[in-house]
Amino acid sequence: MPESESRDIGSTLPGHYGGAATGTVIGAATIAAAWNLQGDPARSSVVADAERLFGASLPLDPNTARHTQGLLVLWMGPRSWLLIDRGAARPPASLADFEARRDDLNARGSALFDVSASRVAFTVRGERAPSVLAANCPLDVDARVFLPGRCAQSLFGRVTALYYRHQQAPAVTVMVSRSLAVDVWHGLCLAAASDGYDVALPAAFDAV
Amino acid sequence: MTQPFRLPAGGCLVDRARPLGFEYDGVRYAGYAGDTLASALLANGVHLTSRSFKYHRPRGIFSAGTEEPNALVQLARGARTEPNVRATTLELYEGLVAASQNCWPSVRLDVGAINDRMSRFLPAGFYYKTFMWPPTPAWWLRYEHVIRRAAGMGRASTEPDPDRYEHRHAHCDVLVIGGGLSGLAAARAAASSGARTILCDENPWWGGGVSGDGRTIDDLAAAQWIARAIEELGAQPDVTLLPRTTAFGYYDDNLVGAVERVADHLAAPLPHSPRQRFWMIRAKTVVLASGAHERGIVYANNDLPGTLLASAAHTYVTRYGVKPGKRAIVFTNNDGAYSDAFALRDAGVEIAAIVDVRPESRVSGSLPAQAREGGLAVIGNSVVVGAHGKRHVASVDIAPLDGGPAKRVACDLVCVSGGWNPAVHLFSQARGKLRYDDGVAAFVPDVSPMPVLPVGAARGSFDLSAALVEGHAAGVAAAQRAGIDALVSLAAPRAVLKSIGALQALWAVSADASGGKRFVDLQNDVTANDIALAGREGYQAVEHLKRYTTLGMGTDQGKTSNIIGLALMAEQLGVSIPKVGTTTFRPPYTPITLGSVPGAECGPHVEPTRYSAMHAWHAERGARFVNAGLWKRPHSYPRAGESEDDAANREALNVRANVGVVDVSTLGKIELQGRDVGEFLNRVYINRWDNLAVHRCRYGVMLRDDGMVMDDGTTSRLAAMHYLMTTTTVNAVKVMQHIEYLLQAVWPDLEVHATSVTEQWSAAALSGPKTRELVAAIVDIDVSNAAFPFLAVGSCRVRSQQGDMPARLFRMSYSGELAYEIHVPADRGQDLWAAIMAAGEPFGLMPYGTEAMSTLRIEKGHVVVGAEADGRTTAADLGLGKLVNANKWCVGKPLLGRPGLVAPDRWQLVGLTALDGARMPRGGKLVADPDRPPPNPMQGHVTSWCFSPHCNAWIALALLENGRARHGEQLWAVSPLADARVRVQIGSPCFVDPEGERLRA
Repeated sequence: MPESESRDIGSTLPGHYGGAATGTVIGAATIAAAWNLQGDPARSSVVADAERLFGASLPLDPNTARHTQGLLVLWMGPRSWLLIDRGAARPPASLADFEARRDDLNARGSALFDVSASRVAFTVRGERAPSVLAANCPLDVDARVFLPGRCAQSLFGRVTALYYRHQQAPAVTVMVSRSLAVDVWHGLCLAAASDGYDVALPAAFDAV
Repeated sequence: MTQPFRLPAGGCLVDRARPLGFEYDGVRYAGYAGDTLASALLANGVHLTSRSFKYHRPRGIFSAGTEEPNALVQLARGARTEPNVRATTLELYEGLVAASQNCWPSVRLDVGAINDRMSRFLPAGFYYKTFMWPPTPAWWLRYEHVIRRAAGMGRASTEPDPDRYEHRHAHCDVLVIGGGLSGLAAARAAASSGARTILCDENPWWGGGVSGDGRTIDDLAAAQWIARAIEELGAQPDVTLLPRTTAFGYYDDNLVGAVERVADHLAAPLPHSPRQRFWMIRAKTVVLASGAHERGIVYANNDLPGTLLASAAHTYVTRYGVKPGKRAIVFTNNDGAYSDAFALRDAGVEIAAIVDVRPESRVSGSLPAQAREGGLAVIGNSVVVGAHGKRHVASVDIAPLDGGPAKRVACDLVCVSGGWNPAVHLFSQARGKLRYDDGVAAFVPDVSPMPVLPVGAARGSFDLSAALVEGHAAGVAAAQRAGIDALVSLAAPRAVLKSIGALQALWAVSADASGGKRFVDLQNDVTANDIALAGREGYQAVEHLKRYTTLGMGTDQGKTSNIIGLALMAEQLGVSIPKVGTTTFRPPYTPITLGSVPGAECGPHVEPTRYSAMHAWHAERGARFVNAGLWKRPHSYPRAGESEDDAANREALNVRANVGVVDVSTLGKIELQGRDVGEFLNRVYINRWDNLAVHRCRYGVMLRDDGMVMDDGTTSRLAAMHYLMTTTTVNAVKVMQHIEYLLQAVWPDLEVHATSVTEQWSAAALSGPKTRELVAAIVDIDVSNAAFPFLAVGSCRVRSQQGDMPARLFRMSYSGELAYEIHVPADRGQDLWAAIMAAGEPFGLMPYGTEAMSTLRIEKGHVVVGAEADGRTTAADLGLGKLVNANKWCVGKPLLGRPGLVAPDRWQLVGLTALDGARMPRGGKLVADPDRPPPNPMQGHVTSWCFSPHCNAWIALALLENGRARHGEQLWAVSPLADARVRVQIGSPCFVDPEGERLRA
């Protein structure tokens, strides 16, 4: 740990920043693997294929998510899902046979894209998570509207972002393109600075 | 004696236990916490605060709120210095320093006052009539210089803004705009049903414009009722209270913009706190309790300091404990001013007379009798025709309404009330229609298609009891509209209903014998005569009236003056007031700081910035960065003592001699899977793709619908139904959208799935004669020319110190040298780069940036989107005509055949070499004779240029009429802007290895 730590807002070093209030924690969440599954439920066997290949039941209602066998499946569109491997180990066991699964799906008219490194994730924990996000997210992130276990694609400031409200803990994870990680982290810290926040060490993507 | 006009007691907003010191125009004064600058100045007997905009007439405090037209001050705060701050809303803090504006050398003695003497040359629209002689541009520029110096009000800070501004989105069931009595009633009702409620008010305190007339609310004194309501609201978790917050604009779908002044009342913001917060509130229903503004009556010299709105004088007494004067005249056409007079009298102000426009019989109830009992004279059926005084009102002339001799009465305070204007600005912005109400002589809200409910004074309901009932009902209705089932358990607040007598509309008193100016718009110095002049000159539509006279165009946006102006115009034209109508209400309702609009998006954050995974390495190596779209890319890596140009030349030379590596992570990458990808590529590219073998890549060009080149890149076939397309950096998003549109809307039956993987892969391009040895040192497959020929594609693993990683390898060349491109998952990008740099040492590896990359591709004649492919060129123009497959359709193909695009004299891509060792000028145009006077026929222009280390000369790519047939000719490249001319030789655009032997090695 360097002698003079930067205690500026936007630092990634663990500790408390900003105002005096406690309870808000922000930190990076590691995505072990993420695949984009595309297929038309009406014209292909993608739903059955997902069950067979991943043990995953695809959510068909917009902005809903399902947990299954170590995977979090997020609805991205009527013909698109994001499968996130929540495992902490790198590389995750389920990443094996990616190409075989992809070829299997291609043969049946669907597609599987490896986008594991495309996004970075930041988790905001605490009762004040909605007001921290409200600085940059135009959606209604109140827990009674953006329900636990739901996801939504929107903006963080001016960049595309994917939001997921955790099932049990009062936490929301926001995922953005990797190249924008620096800007988005800075924006989160600024938003939380007025009240105060703690930075946590990067942890596994914990969708529980 | 300090604060000679501060009352011994009273003033519910000031805290006499916290005295504050401040400075105005260089003089130190005392005030209290809770004062505004205006109330503190008045407590010290200071009325003269500014000189008016055009005539530089002495002006004083007119109101007690945001409608203030006169008392605009320069607030000195170092880098936070702000002009045109309303003294009536500026909260006093310890050490505040402010000064008068628009005066020199001082507000008491201002040389600009000469404008008042010259006023007959400066009426409305004078600039269309004066400063026209002598009629030469030189003279106009002299006048313009002087006018420019004289125009404007106040001085903006020239230092960077030291403060931070936040944005905040909010959603609620009910947004109540205005925390006066009707707003509080609405918020209470909505919140009690459980609705998510936001209540905002522009003031730091709650209760709005209520001036205590002694009535109780639910048997409590008004102040107590307000305090209790706020306490109850503040205790509820779903209620957000926003004081010091102005809702400034009403937008589509019930989006309301508001600015919260978090720290303006402090000398500086607290650490970590923003100065202001810009709220974007989306409400299911808006309750508009924005109140009303009092207006005056126009008479001669109605602008003298010491002239206040009657309710403002009342406010200074009751809220701030300040006497605005010693001897007052109250001039009114309505009942409301009587309670103002009583409050002044109770505070010890001598009321010389209440001058009422109406005959006594029309004044309601016992008000005149009460007045007389209290020792006040009431003069009915009369008007103030004019005021007199040098820098402060000293007397007024009172005359009968119908004419007759005037009587002069001494006074030092005139309190005027001509009626009230509901604040309908936000209602209008919500596409609400207005209706003129003769009873209150004002425009009131009619209907709006948006879910907005005006209540109380904003609706034209000026009585306390009605305001409470309306507010409560609106809160209930709003909660129900939001689908809240819970019953509203609260009953509506009760107050005794008091009937208010009718007002008698009077906008302006006729000109008096003295000819003193009668001001309608105080801020912009617009007089009743100006309005008459505009009418005579034909500017009779209200929007013309506004712009010709500048009525209502000041920072107060005519809050106290617009209706008077249009009513006078109506009188002049002989039409009804609604026929003249109002001008368009536009946000913001009151001025908002520019800083609050972008919030955090300023300075380096004005746009998001994208960084490659290898960015830290580039920065540490001293790279100079350029913007490529939103990305930061290394331009070059200058060494100590090396200029950027030298660095780029060194890097380019090294690529051709040894090996160089460039970070190409930013290029757009799109992955495509499906049975029909080959057919899809056939349709979007000009060349043929269904015959591309697995593990091969190919260069392709995409056209727009009109046949012009849109983008280029390479696409690789990774497996039978699996492809990877690359695009240019700046067009990555555009091409992805193009593909999505085609797949979703045009060819939904094609079995093709696509997704952007620009972010998934970090990429490094290695090129130069020694590339193969370097690549062989770090990958685990055979990369010989036999095993991995030009345009081969494959998977492999890359060895690195941090462990090996999966990778894709491509043999394609942008530089024209032997080249390989390596892609790894972006989270391993820096490991790849480190591995390359370590392995490259023995081969003379140097990193190179976009500048060297540009030199290399210009030398090779590779076209670039934006330079050669500028949206006006076809594939054939760029020498790529052979790539257009004649046997298939593609996007853009039909229009590609139109006569204009196949004409023989089109400009074609050529290479230029500068002769005589000269430097190629920037933006050179190609002409035959550089000395020919304009118009000099242009035969072409330069699209890209650089110094070529390979050719040891300045070279360029250019588009030249019939260029391909003119190799060997000489022309001139001229730049009239840079006054440069260079002789150039036309030749092939490919300066290096035209046979392509190096890249196939």
